[in-house]
Amino acid sequence: MRNTMKVAKWEIKRNMKNKTFLIGLFLTPLLIIGFFVIGSLFDDSSDKEQTVELYVNDEIGLLPAVEETISMAGFDWEVEETDLSQDAVRSELEETENTAYLFLTAQGLNEGIFPVYMSEEMPPYFLEQLQILETPIKSVQLAEQGLTAEEMAIVSAPILFEQQAAEDEAKSEESRLERVVPGAFAGFIMLSIVFTGMAIFQSASQEKKDKIAEILLSSLTPADLMQGKIIGYFVLGIIQTVISLVIILPVAIWRFELQDAAKYLLAPELLFYILIACMGYLLFSAIFVGIGATMSDMTTAGNFQGFVMMLPFLPFLFIGPVVNDPSGLWAQVGTYIPFTTPGVLLLRLTILEEWPWIEIAIGLAILAVSIWIFMKLAGKIFKVGILMYGKNATPGEIWKWIRA
Amino acid sequence: MDVMLTVEGLEKSFKDKKVLKNISFEVRKGEIMAILGPNGAGKSTTIRNIMGIMYPDKGTITFHHYNGKGIPRNKIGFLPEERGLYKNVNVMDILLYLADLKDYPLDKARERALMYLKKFDLEGKDKVSVEELSKGMGQKVQFIASILHEPEFLILDEPFSGLDPVSQEMFKEEIRNLANNGTAILLSSHQMNLVEEMCDRLFMMQQGQKVIYGSLDEVKRKYANFKCTIHGKNDAARLERIDQVRRIEQQGDASVLYLEKDVEPLSWIKQLPDDLVIEELKLNRISLHEIFIDIATNKNLMKEGELNA
Repeated sequence: MRNTMKVAKWEIKRNMKNKTFLIGLFLTPLLIIGFFVIGSLFDDSSDKEQTVELYVNDEIGLLPAVEETISMAGFDWEVEETDLSQDAVRSELEETENTAYLFLTAQGLNEGIFPVYMSEEMPPYFLEQLQILETPIKSVQLAEQGLTAEEMAIVSAPILFEQQAAEDEAKSEESRLERVVPGAFAGFIMLSIVFTGMAIFQSASQEKKDKIAEILLSSLTPADLMQGKIIGYFVLGIIQTVISLVIILPVAIWRFELQDAAKYLLAPELLFYILIACMGYLLFSAIFVGIGATMSDMTTAGNFQGFVMMLPFLPFLFIGPVVNDPSGLWAQVGTYIPFTTPGVLLLRLTILEEWPWIEIAIGLAILAVSIWIFMKLAGKIFKVGILMYGKNATPGEIWKWIRA
Repeated sequence: MDVMLTVEGLEKSFKDKKVLKNISFEVRKGEIMAILGPNGAGKSTTIRNIMGIMYPDKGTITFHHYNGKGIPRNKIGFLPEERGLYKNVNVMDILLYLADLKDYPLDKARERALMYLKKFDLEGKDKVSVEELSKGMGQKVQFIASILHEPEFLILDEPFSGLDPVSQEMFKEEIRNLANNGTAILLSSHQMNLVEEMCDRLFMMQQGQKVIYGSLDEVKRKYANFKCTIHGKNDAARLERIDQVRRIEQQGDASVLYLEKDVEPLSWIKQLPDDLVIEELKLNRISLHEIFIDIATNKNLMKEGELNA
């Protein structure tokens, strides 16, 4: 165990002194923030483009009501009065974008149809949005029919079908956050350590390439070396997670207004989620370290190795079906496949209010047994593979080592 | 002399091929013991079995003066044939890491590392990244790594390969110093002239089997028969009729006559036929190099004298 810790310490020190690793350490969170910022830049610019100039030719004195309705709806429209006639409008619109002319005529008030002229370029749904003016116009129509204010209010009120929540809405929102925040946090930790852990395989194959494995194995056992790597890269993954969180969290809280969410983070579930995340790491790290020992070079990786490297991405396939139906067949299948168990379980537990304890127990039991089996297999592969210099192992050879 | 390591009846197979057959030898304190043989003879496999990197199918490996279980890794220094270092770390870091793995105190390791770097003309390179070193410099760093923790037993697999003559001399001197200070050294090499100069005893193997085992003096006495090199145009059939000649090799006008073991040099020269064309004649003992080549090419030059000293 002492040697294991020495190897772990060395892997941490070696990487923390390595420029490539350090750049990656800070670049990863910065890239994530970059996507946020770029995304929001696009949002802003599209808003600006779509400001609509709405000119109103008002014959019936409705302009103040129209302006109020539009500003209450929060549309990005600039309303101005005009006295241009309908004939003159067409030529006026030819050279413009996002411009519309609305004619509130007395005839329209009687017939219920108001002419609108628009430039060719208009934001989508403009006409649908314009429908919001129905209410003030309807009020004027009804007033002309001699209805009292109360009668008008009843008649002009829209008919709504409102779903009644079983519990207090605010409370349900709160409990949703309570579940989502720790789940998302654990998911982030898992992705972060698993992806950092992918460097294990490079570390193992690099030792083959640099031919240092034999020198190391004259001082320690292959098991010490392998375990040291797994622990070392776990710590590196945690370092990556902490640095990412320190950089990303303030930005995310500001961007998504999550000030209140932080208090939900320290839920008791978090410990359980992190346990699942760590189990996921152990499984994948065993696979990476074993496969790394079979490869002399990343660039010459065969199909088999490439396929294995894709395993951590497998849970992404389940996101759609699981979100649609967190208790459905796909969710259950994902829970029982060890490679997808951690990802799918985290997702399901975050969504589901009632946890399926039996499925959780079976899923975790399968995962634990798989970790044990894969660690054993990785140990066998690592022991032989790490000393096979200059050549990638074939699946046939790997199978032979496992059986040996 | 005090025995440090005993290897007895070592056997190892890969698939169905037996690569080590009944290998037995011992290494003593303060001696340089050479393990020789052509490529594929099983030298590195033997060493890997000693180091516990591989496990023998049969046989025992005993480290004397060690009561614990397994291999006293901390007391062994090892320079493997296939060697390298981490590329993107600095020299001192890797030396200290390897010393730490041997449980050697770090402050002492740092002191010794600086001393050896200076000795091997690498002063001031301790902060340099390994990838900036030349191949020879890298080999020196690896050698330092193998002796930094003051091992009682040192295994050097082809330590001289790829070194220039100056560095070779440095290594030779240091290896000799270590042996004089009591380190038991097991050295594998192809460079016979170096082995001949340095080793006290040797174990030569071929196809996984022992061929010669004994002290250098004994081996030379028993194996290094005389050979006579004659420059001059002579018919092979004529040369074959000369007494006590076991084998003849001809290349151009030069003929090498390998003589029998108990030849008396002076009387043998006297009985050479008068009609022999001699422009130049040389009579000397077969070198270790020739014995090695002989075994490697399977000529079995000195068949009669299977030695077991």
